Amino acid sequence: MMFEPQRLHPVSAVLNFVKGLKDAIFPIIAIFFLNGNQVEGFLNWLPLILSASFLVLILIAGIVKWLRFTYRVQEGELRIEYGLIFRKKRYIPMDRIQSLNFSEGVLHRPFQLVKVSIETAGSPGSQEAEAELTAIKRSEAKRLEEIIYHGKQERSFVEEQTEEQGMDSDRMLVYGMTMKDLVLMALTSGGAGVVISGVAVFFSQIIEFLPVGTIYEEVLDWLQIGVLIVGLTALLILLLAYGISVILTVLRFGKFSVFIEGEDLIITRGLLEKKQITIPLNRIQGIRVDENMIRQPLGFATISIISAGGSIKGDAEQQFKVLPLIKRSQIKGVMESILPQYDLDVSLKRPPKRARIRYLVRCVLFPAVLAIAASVFFWPVGLVSLLIVPIFIGLGVLNHRDAGWNVRDKQLTLSYRFMTKQTYVMKKHRIQSSQCSQSILQKRARLSSVEVTLKTGVGKARAHCHHLENEDIEQIMDWFKHENIG
Amino acid sequence: MREPSQRISRRALTLWRIYGYINTGIVGVIAIAIIILTNLYSWPLWPSFVIGVLFVLEIIFSIWLIPSIKWDRLRYEVRDQEIEYQYGLFIVKRILVPMVRVQHVDTEQGPLLRKYRLATISISTAATVHKIPALDEREAEGLRNTISSLARVAEDDV
Repeated sequence: MMFEPQRLHPVSAVLNFVKGLKDAIFPIIAIFFLNGNQVEGFLNWLPLILSASFLVLILIAGIVKWLRFTYRVQEGELRIEYGLIFRKKRYIPMDRIQSLNFSEGVLHRPFQLVKVSIETAGSPGSQEAEAELTAIKRSEAKRLEEIIYHGKQERSFVEEQTEEQGMDSDRMLVYGMTMKDLVLMALTSGGAGVVISGVAVFFSQIIEFLPVGTIYEEVLDWLQIGVLIVGLTALLILLLAYGISVILTVLRFGKFSVFIEGEDLIITRGLLEKKQITIPLNRIQGIRVDENMIRQPLGFATISIISAGGSIKGDAEQQFKVLPLIKRSQIKGVMESILPQYDLDVSLKRPPKRARIRYLVRCVLFPAVLAIAASVFFWPVGLVSLLIVPIFIGLGVLNHRDAGWNVRDKQLTLSYRFMTKQTYVMKKHRIQSSQCSQSILQKRARLSSVEVTLKTGVGKARAHCHHLENEDIEQIMDWFKHENIG
Repeated sequence: MREPSQRISRRALTLWRIYGYINTGIVGVIAIAIIILTNLYSWPLWPSFVIGVLFVLEIIFSIWLIPSIKWDRLRYEVRDQEIEYQYGLFIVKRILVPMVRVQHVDTEQGPLLRKYRLATISISTAATVHKIPALDEREAEGLRNTISSLARVAEDDV
């Protein structure tokens, strides 16, 4: 059945129309409001007629697009044909498909439909080898999934009956997020930092204005009120933005669950728009653990998977957040059921004490120069800016403390912090290249840095660690050499 | 750490010096132009000083110092299982690329490189590109063949 050309569900035409409308909304508005002068008679209706015909055009385009779009599975390939004037055919070999993502918008829901995005590894920059089926029946999508993932191994397609029964049965839930987790995640995301600093700036402004002089009292009174109003509005807007970001996060990550099904990792999420991402486990290149400044003290971390598949479009989600928020103590248990070959519970070797000064200088140098410049130019008020220096010294100490490395069997762990602490856990056979470097200054202190590169869908992910002992770096490089593992 | 054993051709040094001469030449022309303009329109003197100092620095650095340091640092070694090379001026970097990661190898040659029978080899993995500049032509050729035959045994698993 899959061998005949299939058409998308008619809802697809509606979706095309909506999309076309979204793209054309500005021209339509422009046409509609363009007639500034009052014109009599027919001309008065012209803008209305124009925009109406515009709408009809978009509608027709949407329908034609839907009529012309067909897909089928044939000879181990997914074949898609579309286009009105230029007939386009895109054939994607099953073997090349890296992940299959499902998402369900509001329009999909009532008709039991899904949007299917097909992602291939492609070379970085090739956006082309990727396809999208805007609306197909959910059962159809499941079948496509079965064919793609099982056809891969067996080369011949599984019969329909066996597909039906094999569905959902071996899908194992390994991680789910509760509402509490969700809200906590939203509250502790990077957005929170922005809001907090915004509030801080607001209060510093108020304080600055309150004790000010007596001469232009009236003017100042007026100014103060003005500033207060502006400030309060700004605060309100900030809080509102914060609230909205929390709600959006909850909507986007609601019902977040991670499943294991055979050789694939499946992530589903979303309250309004449901999304499902399937990543074959054998395409996973590494794991990254992120601990930001707010979450770390609370004992939470984010775990992302570095995957080789994917398109340019999914850029931000390329390093799939597999566990967006998890207690550090739970990481081990959950990850063991997902990727047992990765050991996230290793003790890291720290950079030596004498490296600390380098971490400090690295953090403090730039802010210190700025603060000194501010102090000189805005003497004496500018001296306040010197207060940031201890903050950055603290950051430097943290950076030194949180850096580290570990090599065990075939696994390399590198930990590094600038703001967010990032720990990369990698397998030797997934590392693309490794590089050590030593500057003239480092040479005198017998220190070196290391950087290894992994492949991701859009290019590369780099893991690094600075100012380690020469011998440590040597050990990492030696570990990476082939003969030492055999 | 043991350094990679191979050095690049001595002719690369000559080539980089030529690049240095070209750069210095450009700075020199600008310098002369500024000095002439200063005389004609009685401009302030400081631009001439700045460009003069720049000119001297160019001579010292880009003709004399940088090429020899660069040449001295640049080493490479191709083994059965990996390619290792080292480069850098003030920061010495050493890079290891496992043979199984290599996707393809290119050599390229500009007019100047061709004149000196040199070629640049670039080794691409799925995520990175590594260039070893100014190798001897035949050596680069040989390298390309060895690497690509060695890399062919790699399994196609990104």
